Amino acid sequence: MTPEQKNVLIDHLDESLRGKATATLEEVIGNDPEAEKEWNYLRLAVDAVKEAGLYQEVSAARTAWKAESGIAATSATAKSAARTTTAAPTNTTAKVRSLYRVSLRAAAVILIIAASTAIYKYLSVSSGSLYDRYYSGYNLNTTRGAGDTDPVMEAYNAKDWTTVRQLAATAKTRTNQTDFLAGMACLEQKQYDEAISHFEQIIAVNTHAGTDLYQDEAEYYLAISWLAHRNVNEAMPILEKIRADRHHKYHEKVEKMSFFDLRLAQYKENK
Amino acid sequence: MKAEVTYTDAELIEAISEGTELNRAIQFIYRQHAEATSSFIRHYGGSEQDADDIFQDAVVAFIDVVKKGKFRMESNVRTFLASIAKNCWFNELKKRERAGNRNKQFEMSRPQDEPDVAEHINELERKKQLRDLVDGLGESCRKILLLFYYENMTMREILYHLPYENEQVVRNKKYKCLQQLTVLIKDNPAVARQMQEIIK
Repeated sequence: MTPEQKNVLIDHLDESLRGKATATLEEVIGNDPEAEKEWNYLRLAVDAVKEAGLYQEVSAARTAWKAESGIAATSATAKSAARTTTAAPTNTTAKVRSLYRVSLRAAAVILIIAASTAIYKYLSVSSGSLYDRYYSGYNLNTTRGAGDTDPVMEAYNAKDWTTVRQLAATAKTRTNQTDFLAGMACLEQKQYDEAISHFEQIIAVNTHAGTDLYQDEAEYYLAISWLAHRNVNEAMPILEKIRADRHHKYHEKVEKMSFFDLRLAQYKENK
Repeated sequence: MKAEVTYTDAELIEAISEGTELNRAIQFIYRQHAEATSSFIRHYGGSEQDADDIFQDAVVAFIDVVKKGKFRMESNVRTFLASIAKNCWFNELKKRERAGNRNKQFEMSRPQDEPDVAEHINELERKKQLRDLVDGLGESCRKILLLFYYENMTMREILYHLPYENEQVVRNKKYKCLQQLTVLIKDNPAVARQMQEIIK
């Protein structure tokens, strides 16, 4: 069979053929042993892909479960230690009372520590502190390698942020890459409004052209820019979207973020 | 804190069959059944890694059986998973040629009413070989096929996730990748032989 004929079989397998074509192909598969064989191999290949997908999904659940049970084991050990402490044999009423007092004191200390931690957390968490915690620069060399002679890239690699911004502003043709590097340079120079407009420009261009060049990068750093701009309300939907999209380049990074802290900062901001 | 969803056996079967809550269902299976099964494997000489691997295989087999509508409700989910895991571990021990007494102990530990899972165990071996072939594809092929056939994404949606110019480019790439996979299957004598048997 020619590759084109195989492609028609694939279309039939994907149920993308219509009407007469389907009936004809059914007939071909029924009467031509070679076509039937190829058809069966294709079905097996699709089964294999589905199997690999399922295995990958179960594997992810396994990893999550291991992480969860690790946490549970730690907490169980702590509880068990606590039980051992409180269940120490006591023979006299005095000892029981003493233990009771000790437990009360321990509970009070724990309560004070917990309250202090909560107050400290509330006071210290802000969009600015979250930005400081989660911002890390973009390393050009490790991602898109082509075009090392590009002056904007050269300036970016040299961390010459002012030149990056100047070159991007005067560039004859504006590309997503130029916009992205200019946005990053603005972030480095704490010009958050400008950074936001560069990243938004990339997303708008991609939406309009149906492309995805620097889309993931722009989305992530747009959220980070909003945090820097002390506007968690704008950052949250973008971060939620990245967290929900397993295929997003920054999915893992966002998953590691503390959404509790982000929501706390959002609460403070909305007050 | 995330709310944990719980299922009865019947609800679990329904969730897996419909496929809408598959991820939650898998997480529930792990929370509910992994520890008991894993401790059995460890009891019979398996390491923690062995126990995890075997339970993962059991979960995949279970989902596969449910999706094909072959799960019979007379054995409950826990028994079925345990049975698959035990048999997998038994096979693994045999492979490692250090069965000895453990096999005998194992055989003695099998309850009379345990479901017959031999058919599913054979299927597991075949599936593993197929999975290895998919892993043998390049990353871009693997990804595009998974997005289309497992995640059921359209060409347009795939375009959003992968750096291709347009839907036609994605479609052509998918043709090539699937054909590449069939070549790998044909070139694998063990899988091709099984295929011949299925065709017969």
